[in-house]
Amino acid sequence: MNTHELERLLMQQPVSLLHRLARGRISRHFRSGKRKLVDLLLQASAENRPGLESDLQTLIDERAQRPQPVPVEKTRPPEARSRQAVPATSRPHRTDDHGHHHEPPVSLHEWLSGIGVPPPQPFVPDAWQVEALAKLAETDVVVSVPTGSGKTYVAIEATARAMRENRTVIYTSPLKALSNTKFTEFSRVFGPGQVGILTGDRREHSQAPLLIMTTEILRNLLYDAAGGEIDVRLDTLGLVIMDESQYLADPERGVVWEETLIFCPSQARLLLLSASIGNPQDIADWLTAIRPSPCSLIRHTKRSVPLRAGYLHPNEKLTPLFRTAGIPYGQPHLLHPEAKRLFIEYEEETGPSRSR
Amino acid sequence: MPPSIHPVDLVATLRQRNLTPAIIFLTSRRACDEAMQSFERSQVTLPKTQQEQIARVLTQVTEQFPSIAEHPLIETVQRIGVAAHHAGHLPSWKIAVEELMRTGSLDAVFATTTLAAGVDFPARTVVVTQSSIRKARDFTDLTASEIQQLAGRAGRRGKDLVGFAVITPSPYIDLTVLTKGLTGQPEAIHSQFVISYPMVLNLLKAHPREQIQSILAKSFAQFQLNQRTAVLETKLDSLRAEMEPFGPRVCSDWITQWQVFEQARKRKKPRSPFTRQESPDVAARLHFLTPGRVVGVTRGRGIILRQYRSKGQHAPMVTLLREGGSLNECPASIVTQVFDRTFDCEETSTYPWCTPQALEQLTHHLTDLPPRLPILPILAHQHEETPIDSSIIQTLGDFPCPTCPSRQACQRDFPRASRVRQEIQRHIKSIQALQTSLWHRFQERIDVLEKFGYLHANAQLTADGEWARLIRIDHSLLITELIRAEAFGAIDPPLLAAVMASIAHDDDRPGSFPRGSAGLVTLLFQVRKLAESLTPHEAPPMLRADVAALTERWVSDQTLTWIGLARLTTMAEGDMFRLFARTIEFLSQLKTLKATHPSLAESADHAITAMRRGVLEELP
Repeated sequence: MNTHELERLLMQQPVSLLHRLARGRISRHFRSGKRKLVDLLLQASAENRPGLESDLQTLIDERAQRPQPVPVEKTRPPEARSRQAVPATSRPHRTDDHGHHHEPPVSLHEWLSGIGVPPPQPFVPDAWQVEALAKLAETDVVVSVPTGSGKTYVAIEATARAMRENRTVIYTSPLKALSNTKFTEFSRVFGPGQVGILTGDRREHSQAPLLIMTTEILRNLLYDAAGGEIDVRLDTLGLVIMDESQYLADPERGVVWEETLIFCPSQARLLLLSASIGNPQDIADWLTAIRPSPCSLIRHTKRSVPLRAGYLHPNEKLTPLFRTAGIPYGQPHLLHPEAKRLFIEYEEETGPSRSR
Repeated sequence: MPPSIHPVDLVATLRQRNLTPAIIFLTSRRACDEAMQSFERSQVTLPKTQQEQIARVLTQVTEQFPSIAEHPLIETVQRIGVAAHHAGHLPSWKIAVEELMRTGSLDAVFATTTLAAGVDFPARTVVVTQSSIRKARDFTDLTASEIQQLAGRAGRRGKDLVGFAVITPSPYIDLTVLTKGLTGQPEAIHSQFVISYPMVLNLLKAHPREQIQSILAKSFAQFQLNQRTAVLETKLDSLRAEMEPFGPRVCSDWITQWQVFEQARKRKKPRSPFTRQESPDVAARLHFLTPGRVVGVTRGRGIILRQYRSKGQHAPMVTLLREGGSLNECPASIVTQVFDRTFDCEETSTYPWCTPQALEQLTHHLTDLPPRLPILPILAHQHEETPIDSSIIQTLGDFPCPTCPSRQACQRDFPRASRVRQEIQRHIKSIQALQTSLWHRFQERIDVLEKFGYLHANAQLTADGEWARLIRIDHSLLITELIRAEAFGAIDPPLLAAVMASIAHDDDRPGSFPRGSAGLVTLLFQVRKLAESLTPHEAPPMLRADVAALTERWVSDQTLTWIGLARLTTMAEGDMFRLFARTIEFLSQLKTLKATHPSLAESADHAITAMRRGVLEELP
């Protein structure tokens, strides 16, 4: 390679590569522009031309091996978008800004249709609920489903099965208030004598087959059991249900969930009920790693009652929030043109000082 | 346009669109209460049948929780079918509201976003008015999990075909946060494993020290650390692959060899320190070019007014008053002779660098000067080159590198090879840190406990450690140290409860409170002093004297009713309830020390009994 060729090759490279090449060869190379950098590199290479050439080659190869970054769709600044959005509403059938949605946005009438009470029908458990209960017969189970999907059904059914086998069940919740609610609810289901509650200093029916407590209380019981002071019938313990397990990530109390799970007796099954979280598989893998029996994950993201999102303007005008009636998962930009227009209007009227 | 929709209009719109029952999440308790107040003024009333239904449900709940009967909001709730539900309310009232929602008797509930997790009742519609939430004194954007938790309350199974999440703007809203949260994936959760003193004591009670590390390895924290380790290890593998071409050459560790050689070579030619380009005689003269000095220049003579270095010019500069009164800025090298004559010159910091009078005088002096003046002899030093350190020359000779056949390759590859090697070492260190960090944190706790005498040097529990491990609450070190300092010697139950309340309470809402007794003030002063001395090992609690005084009042005056207590303070009932419930929890921990501290345990027991009356008796 002669100097001329080398120069041309260098000029073809992106500046970032040239800077990497210049590292150690040229001092303060970040100050020079591309042209200057190439000149400096050529000057510096006078002593050790092969070194430069081979380094250049490695860097080019490295670049080629790296996957090309996917060209990111450029998002327009909000001002630009707002200018575009206004005419968009006058021509409702226009393709939207991003061009991959050709259907007209949902109308308010359509969006509001279908409100009502479903006809009473015999309760049929969802597929995931059946699966969770079946899995629980053999393994520990982590359930991660959206709020309101019917986790309580799984808890009640699993409890009933354990009780039939004369096994004790412990149900933990993060808040005392929730413990109380569950105490009332389960007492209704299983009969008052069958459900006990343990709080800091009070015990009601502490010999009942189903015990409700906060996670801290269970942790303390496990401490005492490990310290030799058996306080609870841990040997007959058949099932531990931990509600709201996403509290594992609570900055102050999360550690209590971890301790409880680490020290939970191995003969007891674990049922972890959690709202939707991003990494439920991690929790299942962790439990599989630390407990004698494997742990199954039951996860689904579909809500049992479909959800629609709307936008209510301060002047009481209601519109759908998204172009589609349901939530367009993964596509936050599919805003309904009317909602978009109204929100921009709101932002403009409530003052530019707090524009983002 | 109003900054946000009026609550009455909001509920009216929802009713009109058949979107009730609804949960409306507002920013603060105050916003919820104000929304309720605006309804009190409005003329809306519910149809008779719905009012009766509400009354029926409330009667049912009241049977279980008598305190609800006196609640001031009952009438409003019954008339308008709307209620507020937040942490400022008593748990029994919240249960009543939840029951009303569950039976579908209410049209709307105003709740705070902060307590979304505690809101365990569904509705047809959820209204969101904000996109950020107050966490530890800062507003942070709601996460996707939190937004979905809020929206998750919409749509009751078996009662609704569809659920609605309605966003209505308020000054606290960023629409993008909400749309992204609604459509996005919930966030991954991360372990928050912290090692507390009671954890250390309890683990060491049950397991020998050698086993602790394997117990810690079972934590989710370590599981997630291992995941990070795995990522680092793949990186490390690829770095090792990158290092492959830089294996042993003529010498096995050529990178270090070359590094040392390079250093030696660089030391041989030290980078010359930055020096001003000036000749030795100019440098020598500089000392004499002070204001007022008469100097000779190529043509004529002058008086120096100032000497300076400017950034633009490399040479030192002087301001010169020339014969004829002109002022020149010129390089110091223009001076050819320095005369043994100076005049007084009153300097100033701005042009012309001396007072006008002085300038005038100097001009006169200059013209009056005799033609011959004695010249100052000035000796110029010649700069000597510092000799190269002979030891380095010696060493350089020892290096095989200059003549080594692999020299070119080494020189070429060195920068990259040494960078890769550094990266490898950095990765190895991080991996080691990830693998041992939990154990190190545990060890730190062991050291502290040993220092305070809860553990023997072999990590066995001392007598003090044996009872201290039963205190399994926040600020456990402070509490056990207080017990050991006998601060609770023969303490009255009210005082004990008050101190425990001030340790347990972690809310900084201001308010007005009753005064504490003199004994409480003294005791709290001691507690605060001890807490401060423990700061390096345990974050001190807030130790609010006002909440302590409130607790003292409740425990000492058995005739005081809950309503009477609420009148003594501006603290919300719900906060009072939580304060007392937490205090009871702390006291019941002291109660477990029956065996070792009987009088303290007894005092704690009395305090608990005294506290548990009125509304505090209603819930298990």
